[in-house]
Amino acid sequence: MTIQRREFVAALGGGVAVGLAGCTGSADDGGGPGVAGETLTLTTTTSTYDTGLLDELNAPFEDRYGVTVDAVAQGTGAALETARNGDSDVVMVHARSLEDEFVKSGYGVNRRDLMFNDFVIVGPEGDPAGIQGSDTATGAFWAIAEAKALFVSRGDNSGTHTKELAIWDAADVDPGGDWYRETGQGMGEVLNVANEQDAYTLSDRGTFLSQRSQLDLVILVQGPIEDGPERLANPYGIIAVNPAVHDHVNYDLAMAYIGFVTSPEGQRIIENYEANDEQLFYPRALSEDPDFQQYVPEGWEPDDDS
Amino acid sequence: MSPCSAAATVAPLAADCLLVTPLFEFPFESVYVRSIVFVSLYVSVLAVLLSTAVSLPVALVVGFSEFPGKRLLTSLINTGMGFPSVVVGLLVLFTVSSQGPLGELDLVFTKEAMIISQFVLATPAITAISLAAVTSVDSNLRDAARALGGTRLDVALVTIKEARYGIVTAVLAGFGRAISEVGSVLIVGGNIAGADGVSKTRTLTTAIQLEARQGRYETAMILGGILVVVVLAVNALVVRLGDDGVMR
Amino acid sequence: MTVGRGRAASRSTGSAGTLEAAGVSFDYGDGAVVEDVSLAVDSGEVVVVIGPSGVGKTTLLGLLALFERPDDGTVTFDGTDAWAVDESQRLALRRRIGVVFQDANLFDASVARNVEYGLRIRRSWRDRIRDALGSVIGPDRPPGAVREALSVVGMADDLDSPAASLSGGEAQRVSFARALAYDPDVLLLDEPTSDLDPRNTAVIEDAITEAGERGIGVVVATHDMHQARRIADRVAVLLDGTVLESGPTDAIFENPADERTRKFVEGELVY
Repeated sequence: MTIQRREFVAALGGGVAVGLAGCTGSADDGGGPGVAGETLTLTTTTSTYDTGLLDELNAPFEDRYGVTVDAVAQGTGAALETARNGDSDVVMVHARSLEDEFVKSGYGVNRRDLMFNDFVIVGPEGDPAGIQGSDTATGAFWAIAEAKALFVSRGDNSGTHTKELAIWDAADVDPGGDWYRETGQGMGEVLNVANEQDAYTLSDRGTFLSQRSQLDLVILVQGPIEDGPERLANPYGIIAVNPAVHDHVNYDLAMAYIGFVTSPEGQRIIENYEANDEQLFYPRALSEDPDFQQYVPEGWEPDDDS
Repeated sequence: MSPCSAAATVAPLAADCLLVTPLFEFPFESVYVRSIVFVSLYVSVLAVLLSTAVSLPVALVVGFSEFPGKRLLTSLINTGMGFPSVVVGLLVLFTVSSQGPLGELDLVFTKEAMIISQFVLATPAITAISLAAVTSVDSNLRDAARALGGTRLDVALVTIKEARYGIVTAVLAGFGRAISEVGSVLIVGGNIAGADGVSKTRTLTTAIQLEARQGRYETAMILGGILVVVVLAVNALVVRLGDDGVMR
Repeated sequence: MTVGRGRAASRSTGSAGTLEAAGVSFDYGDGAVVEDVSLAVDSGEVVVVIGPSGVGKTTLLGLLALFERPDDGTVTFDGTDAWAVDESQRLALRRRIGVVFQDANLFDASVARNVEYGLRIRRSWRDRIRDALGSVIGPDRPPGAVREALSVVGMADDLDSPAASLSGGEAQRVSFARALAYDPDVLLLDEPTSDLDPRNTAVIEDAITEAGERGIGVVVATHDMHQARRIADRVAVLLDGTVLESGPTDAIFENPADERTRKFVEGELVY
């Protein structure tokens, strides 16, 4: 879809007349038995949305069930908050600690691992802090702080921001000062800002790859997909909003959606989705062995009281 | 910019230029842009119509009657013109959220919620400018309408007719505020487009914001151009309607 | 007809088209005072209220037009006390009265739309909405009464002219036609020619005379004694908010009873 849209707009740029008359047609179609005709509200992160993956996933789901998926792209924090208010039916996010908190406090149920990619540390080719080839993310961050090289932070309580703060914490650095800039914007904008300012930033691989053709930034520290440090792993989870807390949420449809995206078909779509000839996400729901960890809080042990 | 350079920068698909060059022939994907323009117009036009229906009576009552607190109300209306749209968006979100007073109506991330927030944004502007317009109507004309046998309603209608240019300005100012505003519709509407590329709550402004977020500035610029064309077209249409037709 | 001073001089009449103020007093609070004035006009007669500027002529006309409720006294129309009935009945009475002001006060519309205004607002809302919609689609066809009223003041050729394009005199003539078009029983005119040149003044004065001949009761307030003499059947001299003296035109001008009236008509009394 994204590609098609670009074609059209390119055509407009070429001087196709803008026919504004007769602008009719609305997405609202109702009716139908069962879940057909119903609408699922999905709050998710900008990284899944902006890469175009969601359109690929949602179209076959909508076709199969005759439903509509309203995908709202927010940061992970905002997506969870919207769900907490009962304004969405299912969330797809990437910050395990926040997800656990969301489930623990009773707002979410039936969390499943969905897919993963990884984070990369990107920066200007000149690499003023000399982080290229660092073995650890913490070492790279420490070097950036030491060199007081420009670093652009999401600063928006998103999954990426949460990850970034965790790395600073592990590196025992309290970021601040002139070199550290919070934008409070989405990943795409942060990459643009970092690009303009020759700054470092932490990005999910997917968004970086889908935007790379317009950026001068390069990957300086790889994530685990390219044998980088495990700390830069970026797992995505999907959680239904608890109908016991918000009785008006569309739980059946949420579970149908979770079932679809974690099914072999959904996982195949994720595996095959490419931007600029590169795979962006790696399926995680299908595995030979049961993955008990996806159902319990991170680091949970059977004898844990919590 | 040439179509090929646009396509080449936005996506490496230069060959496709050959497919989309003919004039007046929208490729199938135009449904995306058309639905966005439709949502923008639908939301803003309805919001402005509602605002006008509320603003004109309020302007007439405030303009031609004396009551305690009139000055306070007038300055509140004037202050409302500069009310930040994101704040309006937040307030409307709290109101329509399932935890809010209108939660039962299930309005979050719908066009109706966007209409509410644009209504809140446009009403002070339309009221304030209409108020200035109706109070500048010569009071002798109001007397004349009454002297010829007019009721209070007839006098009000004469006032509106005489102030029509100012009122048209007010409506256009409200429309301009509504359709070019991005903060509140993003918050309450959610910028939703379906997987089939049909906009549900995506407007021209939120689409521009989305494109800019992804660094596709050319696409954002083109959408911006469409927004400007839409605003100019609506302005021309309304001014024309005000010049002749009903207002004769 | 009765023009007189005080309640005692007034009378009750039930004849058609008689508008009567009896012993009315009114104080705007800004010095425009009317005190204990009685004045009546029967159908077909022209009564001129004469007096210098600022003596309460406009206030008196406002009371007769049922714009303001008198502090004291009554205003009756064909024997109905206009302020003893409810608002809708008062509106019905008001709608039998036409008013022309010193300024033309034309609406920003064509001459025809202006003159048709009184007719239009008397129609049912259904018809008014249909007319409004119809005027969007096609050209107006003003009713015959509009053309007729305009021909009285010699403006029938200007039906489609915008009101804003008229000269002051033409505008005032259209204003007169606007009040005439819905065929009122009584016409009230407040200094209708004081801003006009002699030619336009003559047109208006002829129209006033013609209105009287058609059976309309006319009250004209003016400071112009010569005009009063030209058009009046009866004259009332208003000074400082009260009627000094009233009677047939010739009697007042030839043989004034009051010394101040004599001074005024002879031009000695200047305010």
